[in-house]
Amino acid sequence: MNITIAPKTSTPSHPLTEIIQRLQAGGALLPDSPENVIEVVGILKSYGIVLDAYWRNLTYISEHQFLELFPFFKYFNGEVSFNKLLKHWGHDRINYEFAEYCMKAMMYHGGGKLDAYLDTPEFSERAKGAIAAKLKGNFLVQGISNIFPEFLPEQIRQLAYYSALGQFWNVMSAMFLSLSDRYDQGEIKTIPDVVAHILAALVEAANQPITYAVKIADRDYEIIPQSAGITFLMDTGVPYIEAVFFRSFPFMGTISYNAQACQISPDPGRFNYGALYADPLPIGGAGIPPTLLMQDMRHYLPDYLHQIYQRSPRGEEDLRVLICVSFQKSMFCVTTAAILGLMPYPIDTIEPDQQQTNQAYLEAWMDRLVDSRLPSMQMCDV
Amino acid sequence: MLSALVWIPVLGVILIGLLPPPDEAAIARFVKRSLGESLPPDPARLIALITTAITFGLSVVLALQFDSTSLQSQFQESVPWLEPLGLNYQLGLDGLSLPLVILNGLLTWIAIYSTEKSIQRPRLYYILVLLLNTGGAGAFLSGNLLLFFLFYELELIPLYFLIAIWGGDRRGYAATKFLIYTAVSGILILAAFLGIVWLSQSPTFDYAEIHTESLPLITQIILLGLLLVGFGIKIPLFPFHTWLPDAHVEASTPISVLLAGVLLKLGTYGLLRFGLGLLPEAWSALSPWLATWAVVSVLYGAFTAIAQTDMKKMVAYSSLAHMGYVLLAGAAATPLSILGTVFQMVSHGLISAMLFLLVGVVYKKTGTRDITVLRGLLNPERGMPIIGSLMVIGVMASAGIPGMMGFISEFLIFRGSFPVFPVQTLISMIGTGLTAVYFLLLVNRTFFGRLPEQFANLPRVYWSERLPAFALALLIVALGLQPNWLVYWSETTTAQLTPAIALSVEKIALRIEADPKPLKNAAVFLPSISPTANTPKATAYIHPSASSNP
Repeated sequence: MNITIAPKTSTPSHPLTEIIQRLQAGGALLPDSPENVIEVVGILKSYGIVLDAYWRNLTYISEHQFLELFPFFKYFNGEVSFNKLLKHWGHDRINYEFAEYCMKAMMYHGGGKLDAYLDTPEFSERAKGAIAAKLKGNFLVQGISNIFPEFLPEQIRQLAYYSALGQFWNVMSAMFLSLSDRYDQGEIKTIPDVVAHILAALVEAANQPITYAVKIADRDYEIIPQSAGITFLMDTGVPYIEAVFFRSFPFMGTISYNAQACQISPDPGRFNYGALYADPLPIGGAGIPPTLLMQDMRHYLPDYLHQIYQRSPRGEEDLRVLICVSFQKSMFCVTTAAILGLMPYPIDTIEPDQQQTNQAYLEAWMDRLVDSRLPSMQMCDV
Repeated sequence: MLSALVWIPVLGVILIGLLPPPDEAAIARFVKRSLGESLPPDPARLIALITTAITFGLSVVLALQFDSTSLQSQFQESVPWLEPLGLNYQLGLDGLSLPLVILNGLLTWIAIYSTEKSIQRPRLYYILVLLLNTGGAGAFLSGNLLLFFLFYELELIPLYFLIAIWGGDRRGYAATKFLIYTAVSGILILAAFLGIVWLSQSPTFDYAEIHTESLPLITQIILLGLLLVGFGIKIPLFPFHTWLPDAHVEASTPISVLLAGVLLKLGTYGLLRFGLGLLPEAWSALSPWLATWAVVSVLYGAFTAIAQTDMKKMVAYSSLAHMGYVLLAGAAATPLSILGTVFQMVSHGLISAMLFLLVGVVYKKTGTRDITVLRGLLNPERGMPIIGSLMVIGVMASAGIPGMMGFISEFLIFRGSFPVFPVQTLISMIGTGLTAVYFLLLVNRTFFGRLPEQFANLPRVYWSERLPAFALALLIVALGLQPNWLVYWSETTTAQLTPAIALSVEKIALRIEADPKPLKNAAVFLPSISPTANTPKATAYIHPSASSNP
C-alpha cells in the first residue's frame, strides 16, 4: 500500500498554506527553533534506545516464539528468571506491548508489497511447510489446524509483520541514535538538519530487503524470501507511517467512540487515530496508547531534555505529556522526511507544471494533517 | 483551663500587634516570583498557627478529661463581672459545646494554614482570624446569656472586615449585607435574652439560674420566635439565608471554611442551647411548624444548589439544606435526633470546610469556579487528580454515603425524627437524594471529561494545598466508621435536653385541658398539640433505651 495521497488542484487559500510554503522553502512541518531542535533530538535519542529494545523483542518473538500458541514468556527474550518475572509483574520493564500494538496496526491496515505477498500462493506454500515442520508429532494442534486451516497461516502472517517491523525499527533506532551523536558533535543545528539526516537514512536503506526465516529442527524455513522483493522503505516504512502515524485505530480511553453513531469511519482509510493525531492529555485517549511508549522513553531521556521538562510549570508531574508533545514534534520531522522523499518532483524544481504537481501533492498531505496536532505544533506548548 | 481557650488567641492578637510591619517588598517579589524563590516565614502567620495549635491541643486535652457521663457543665469558671446587669464571666463545657469547641480550634488552624503566604496586610488578617477564634470559643463556652451575646457579636466585626478587605470583587456588598443581617440577628437575640431574663425574673443572665416554666406559653412562643429568627439568620434558614451565598462567594477560601465550619454553628448551637433548652414548652408547641420550616429550608437549599453554576454557591446552598436537617432534628427533639444535631453540626463543619478548601484550590489554579467552564480536572497529568479524588470523597460524604460522617449524621437525624414527624422526615430525605444530584453535577462537569486547552497548563498543586483537605477527609471517614468516638462525648448532654421537651408537652396538654381560654391565641401555633396526639410519642422517645442506641 502506498500512502493514500491523491493529487488535487491547487487552492491558494489552504488552511496550512504557511506550512506548505515553509516546505517549499526547504523547511519542515515543524517550525525551526533551538527549543524544537533540542526537544526533537533529545526525544529521538530516548526513542532510539527504546526502539532498539522493541526491535530485538519483535525479532525474538518472530524467530523464537514461532507458532507458540501460549507464548507466556515472549517479552523475556529467552532470559527467564524469577527476578525478571518479579520485575515484569512490578512493571519495571520495557512495555513491549506498544511494539505489538504498532505491528497489529500495520497488519490491520496492510499496504505495500508485504501485504500483497502474504496473500500469495507462494506464501501459503512456505507457511504450510513451516507449519508441518513445527507440528510434527503434535497431533492435538494438527487436529485443530485441520479444523481451522486458516488459523496457523494467519499466525504466520502476523509473525511476518513482527519480523518486518523489527527490521524496520532496527534501522530506525540506529538512525535516531546516530542523529543524537551528530547533534552532540555539533553537526545538527536546525530542524531541516534533522529532516535531512532522517531522509538520508531512509534513502540509504530504501531498497534494503526485508526477509523472514525461522529455524525449526535445525532447518531454515524461509517465510519471506529475498526474491519476494519486499523492501525497507516502500513495503515497510510507508505502510508503517500510514498505519501508525496516521490511521491506527480507536483505542479505549477517556474518549469513547460509538461506531453505531458513525463516530468511527467505516473506511479504515479515513481513520485518524495515529500518533500525529493522538491527544497527549487524556492518556490513551485515541489510537495506539501513547502512555506505554512515553513511560518507556522517560527512563532514557538525555539530561539536557530532562532538565527542560523539569523547568516546566508542572515539573515532573506531567512528564509523559511533555514527552508525548516532543515525540509528536519528532514524528512530524519523520513525516517531513517521508513527504520529501515521496515528492513527485524535486522540491526546488523550476518547471511550472512540476511545481503545480508538487503543490497539489503537498496540499493533499496537508488535507490529511489539518486535523492532526500539526497546527498546535506551530506554537511551542501543548 | 476554659479561659485559656478564649484568651490565648487574644494573647496571639497582642503579640501580632507588637510585631514590626511586614516586608511588603518581599511579599511583592513573592507574588511575581520566579521559580525557586520563596517568601521568608511570616511571624504573624507563625504566631497565629502556634496560638491556634495550642488552643486546639487544649481542647483535645479537655476532651480527654471530660466526664461524658456527667449531666453537669464541666470545668466551670465563674467570675462576677457586672453583677447589677446580671453579666458574669461564666464558662462551662458540656457534651453540646465540646465538639464545637474542638471543631473551632481545628478549623481555625486549618484556615490559617490554608491562607496564602503572600496575603496582604497579614498582621491585621491574622489578628481578625484569631478574634474570630476567640469569639467562637467564648460563645460555645459561655454559661451566661449576655456573655454569649458579647462573644456572638464579637464575631461580627472581624468577619465583616475579613470579607470586606480580603474578599472578591463584590466584597463590599457581601460584607455589608452580612453585617446588616447579623446585626439584626444580634438585636433579636438580645431582645429575646432580655425578655427571657426579665420576664422570668431571673436574678442574673446565668444560664443555670434561668427558669421559664412560669412564663405564659404565648410569651414563651414570642420569645422563641425572636430566637428562631435571630439564630435562623445565622444558621441560616430560609428565607433569612440570602446573605450566606454572597458572603461565601466573596469571602476568601479560609474565611469560607470558618464561616461554614464554625460560624453557622453558632446559630444551630444557640437555637438548641437557648431555644430548646430555655423554652421547651414553646419549642414543643412550635415543633410541627419548625419541622415544616426545616423541610422548606432543605428543599429550597437543595433545589437552589442544583440551579447554581458557581461551585462555591453550590456548596453554600448545600449548607442551607444541611442546616435544615438540624432544625428538623431539633424540632423532633428525641434523644436520637438531638444527638443527630450534634453529629450533623460537626459533620457539616468538616465536610463543608473540606469542600470549600477544595473549591478554593480549583479556583486558585484555574481562575474560575464556573462548572459550565471547568472540565476534565481529574486528568492525571495536567489536572488535579488528588484534589478531584478528595472532592469525590467530600461530595460522597455530603450526600450521606455510608462509611462517612454524613451518613451517620443523616441517619441519626432521620431515624430520630421519623417517629415524631414522619412526613417531614420523608420529604427531608428527598433532600439527601438531591444532594447527590447537585454534587454529582458539580463533580461530573468539573472533573470528568477531556481537559480543555485553556486549562492544559494549570500550575501544579502542592502538597501543602492538599494536606488540609486530606486531614479533613481522614476525619470524615474515621468518624464515619467510628461514630462512637464523637457520640461518646455528647450522648448524656443531648439526652438531658429531651426530657424537658417531653415534660413540656405534657404540661401544655394539661394546660389545654384545664383552661383552654388563655391559650386561645397560642392555639393558632399549635396545630397538633393535644393530650392524645404528641405526648405519648414524645415520651416514648425519652426512654433510656432509645438514647443508648444511636
